Amino acid sequence: MVNLTIDGKQVAVEKDATIYDAAKACGIKIPILCHDKKLHPFGGCRMCLVEVEQMKGRLIPACTTPVTEGMIVQTTTDEIVKARKLVLELLLLKHPIDCPVCDAAGDCDLQNLTYEYKVNMNRFVDEKFNHEIDYENPLIERDMNRCIHCGKCARICDEIVSYGAYTFINRGIEAKMGTEFDGPLNCEFCGSCVSVCPVGALNSRPFKFKARWWALQKTKSVCSYCGTGCQLTLGSKDGKVLTTIYDENQGFHNGQLCTRGRFGYQFVNSDKRLTAPMIRKNGNLQEATWEEALAEVTSRLSAGKSDPASVAALATPRLTNEELYLFGKLFRGTVGTDNIDHSAGYAHEALTKGAVASFGVAASPAEIADVQKSNLLLVVKSDAYETHPVIGFEINLGVKRKGIALRIVSDKKGKLTRLPGAKTTVHAPGNEVALFNALCKSVIDQGLAAEGVAGLDALKAAVADATAEKAGVTAEEIAAIAKEFASAEKALIILPIGQGYPGHNAALANAAANLAILTGQYGKEGAGLLIMGEKNNSQGAVDMGIYPKGTGLNAAAIIDGCANGNIKTLFVAGENPVVSYPNRKKVEKALENVEFMVVSDLFLTETAAMADVVLPACSFAEKSGTFTSLGRRVQNVRKAIPAVGLAKSDFDILNALSQALGGARYNNQGEVFTEIAANVPAYKGLTQAGLKDEGAVYPVALSAKLVPAAAQASAPVAGKLTLVTGSALYHCGTMSRFGEGPMYVCPDAYAELNVADAAALKVAEGDQVTVTSGTGAVQVVAKVGKRVPQGVVFSPYHFGEGSVNTITDGSEVTYVTVAKK
Amino acid sequence: MIMPLIKGLQITISHMFKKPVTLQYPTERPDVKPGFRGLHALNVSHDKAKCVACYLCPTVCPAKCITVEAGEDQNHDKYAAKYEIDMLRCIFCGYCVEACPVDAIRMTEQFELANYSRADFTYTKDRLLEKK
Ligand code: SF4
Ligand code: SF4
Ligand code: SF4
Ligand code: SF4
Ligand code: SF4
Ligand code: FES
Repeated sequence: MVNLTIDGKQVAVEKDATIYDAAKACGIKIPILCHDKKLHPFGGCRMCLVEVEQMKGRLIPACTTPVTEGMIVQTTTDEIVKARKLVLELLLLKHPIDCPVCDAAGDCDLQNLTYEYKVNMNRFVDEKFNHEIDYENPLIERDMNRCIHCGKCARICDEIVSYGAYTFINRGIEAKMGTEFDGPLNCEFCGSCVSVCPVGALNSRPFKFKARWWALQKTKSVCSYCGTGCQLTLGSKDGKVLTTIYDENQGFHNGQLCTRGRFGYQFVNSDKRLTAPMIRKNGNLQEATWEEALAEVTSRLSAGKSDPASVAALATPRLTNEELYLFGKLFRGTVGTDNIDHSAGYAHEALTKGAVASFGVAASPAEIADVQKSNLLLVVKSDAYETHPVIGFEINLGVKRKGIALRIVSDKKGKLTRLPGAKTTVHAPGNEVALFNALCKSVIDQGLAAEGVAGLDALKAAVADATAEKAGVTAEEIAAIAKEFASAEKALIILPIGQGYPGHNAALANAAANLAILTGQYGKEGAGLLIMGEKNNSQGAVDMGIYPKGTGLNAAAIIDGCANGNIKTLFVAGENPVVSYPNRKKVEKALENVEFMVVSDLFLTETAAMADVVLPACSFAEKSGTFTSLGRRVQNVRKAIPAVGLAKSDFDILNALSQALGGARYNNQGEVFTEIAANVPAYKGLTQAGLKDEGAVYPVALSAKLVPAAAQASAPVAGKLTLVTGSALYHCGTMSRFGEGPMYVCPDAYAELNVADAAALKVAEGDQVTVTSGTGAVQVVAKVGKRVPQGVVFSPYHFGEGSVNTITDGSEVTYVTVAKK
Repeated sequence: MIMPLIKGLQITISHMFKKPVTLQYPTERPDVKPGFRGLHALNVSHDKAKCVACYLCPTVCPAKCITVEAGEDQNHDKYAAKYEIDMLRCIFCGYCVEACPVDAIRMTEQFELANYSRADFTYTKDRLLEKK
């Protein structure tokens, strides 16, 4: 610790602190413009000048000067105030005074400091800049006339997002924050640069001119897209969510969001939202009252009570824990059916079966904080970044700032591949289990297995013939990864799972867990296995028991049951099986066949359009409750706006049905949380109020065991490409299609091909292509690049048009042919 | 008793010869003093409302009776797509005029605001636009 005196106050701080940090620690505010706590110090604006007794004669920037023992610092002498005023005058010399039309007014550091330092006139005069404003993209507007050259946008894009879209161009008075060849911005549109820009040079276009910062009602909540569980602040006005507000003190990610969290909120206000219940009459869905709709559902469900095996229910893991708990209680308890699941069976087996078998808990043994505490990260599928972008930022930061080694095993390359020191092993699609088995074998062969691991002999036997060749990679690569993983002090495996990934099932979780257990890399900080559920509350759905138990059918079997007539009544809460489950034709046929289907959803999705009763549901912004993120963190979701139209939350819908069917009735969702805390062991002792803003990570007691996992052999088929489905960076599930932001950037289904394959097929970027498999054919736009290896084609599954699940059937790999339309 | 009565009559009689202080409204019109705060008007510049939709007047308005919604025009400039004052709530304090950074709103001398329906007290942008 270093002791120093600031404005007469004694402070002791860490030796790597700056004067600015030290002042902040003792509650003294030093004004800053170019500094951000998440970024490396820059020292460009000189707003933070202070006086140091030992360095008399000049003013020192507080944000870049490290503390030294016995320093005596003054932060507001007359001279300092004069200097800061001068800094502001110089900035305002070129800065247009267009606050009335600038969207940053009210939330602008320059404006606030100008007011605070009473800069009422300027001693200097000069012409203003006349840079062209970049209106080209629909998400971020860049007006470089207002830029104060703080460099924060370039630094955050480079240091945290790792995209590097900006840099200073030119020198001196001509200097300007520019993009590639000074062209329009074309990046991944995460909005991080907008969030840190201290002035109105970078603005969010979807929010442009909508409201003033001070008029927004700010509600702290949790992003409703992926399982990362980023916290965000919703800015709402007049019953509409208008923007998300940056708060650098929020969450483990310090307010960082990805494009979905930042620009994907508009689905809440979409005019396509369902606003009234609908009942099918004479073949058409017609508006009805809630009484009619609920009466219809109640009578069907109570009829189903006498034959519970004919009833099934699917829920989306986007519901709150309270809703999911109630869902389980209603269908498993009151109606008496075990046919409940929260996603297409295979998608969450990794948690519900795999993690349970290997670690004895249906949750990740590691948490998100472990990412940055590790020494080596082994990422399965490079697109951990695309599925869970903010975890991608964490990986970036770990690799760049802490020197964490990054190893990737994937069927295609991605953004993580480009990080410094990252090594990517590209394998043939569907070979993940074979690859982990080969890694385990290599660990054993190299004598690196931890001592006294239970079940070692069985595993040895099971992986005896696992070879690198079977996984489609070289023996050297396997041996190197195995060695590095086993000998790292702390090593963590990162495994994304979700509906888009057939084959990311229990066997893969077991295979990955085996590597961690075999090498003793679990049960300690910075090590273990992080199983990343796809949706915002995938973990909560597992915790609430929303998966088939005993003889219950999983989602895939429920679809079969609908097709063969065994399931007569199907309740769907927020799921969209038609698009998101494999084999779209089969799903459609099955749902047509089911006698009675009720769907509660925000939109008339492809599935809802087939229902007999449609119930309009509330979005996350219209209700309170809790979500559990993939790192087992239980977090508060708070209501920001009133329900849209006549929509009711799934909690209200399920509560009403439960009461009508003779089950429990709750006064509010809080009562359910109390019951969860009493009944779900992991949630013991939690209260909603106690979760506060930061939430709580529940503990897990691991009982690790090696569970041999059988690898599927997937051999390439001559003349065909291997189709890999998955998630696109801008989307998550099928809901993001209703957000304007994601749809601006990624509006259509596409198939990504390797340049060599594309050349052979005479396909160019942007061409319409037909992708055909044994199951069907689909038309999509071609994308050409070097990300996917030769022989592989990647396609995201989110889209209703060009729905890639038309041609998949749930097996681990699908062989397709691609032809120009 | 008699003296006060005479004094009173004196006053009454004197008034019979003075100019009346009442106005024969509506045939006679009052002469409105400068600074009078009557109905608002939106000033016009270059054929459109000067208002840049900065949201300052709705912010300062103590009666919360101004609704502004900004829009983006073809030149990407900001304009008031909606500007509305609910005259039933307005207290004619004039803060809106004071707050406006671009001199887009002023108060006219018009005071005849009585009406039959509530809806008629909603002054939309069209009604507030300075009459040419
Ligand atoms: S939006 Fe994100 S990726 Fe694009 S320039 Fe800004 S920080 Fe970089
Ligand atoms: S655009 Fe904004 S964040 Fe970037 S340098 Fe200019 S003022 Fe700073
Ligand atoms: S990473 Fe996931 S939780 Fe975080 S902002 Fe993006 S979509 Fe939302
Ligand atoms: S005069 Fe006062 S009350 Fe009336 S609109 Fe203006 S600010 Fe509001
Ligand atoms: S203060 Fe002036 S410019 Fe701003 S919204 Fe009101 S009238 Fe328009
Ligand atoms: S904040 Fe210290 S120089 Fe900019």
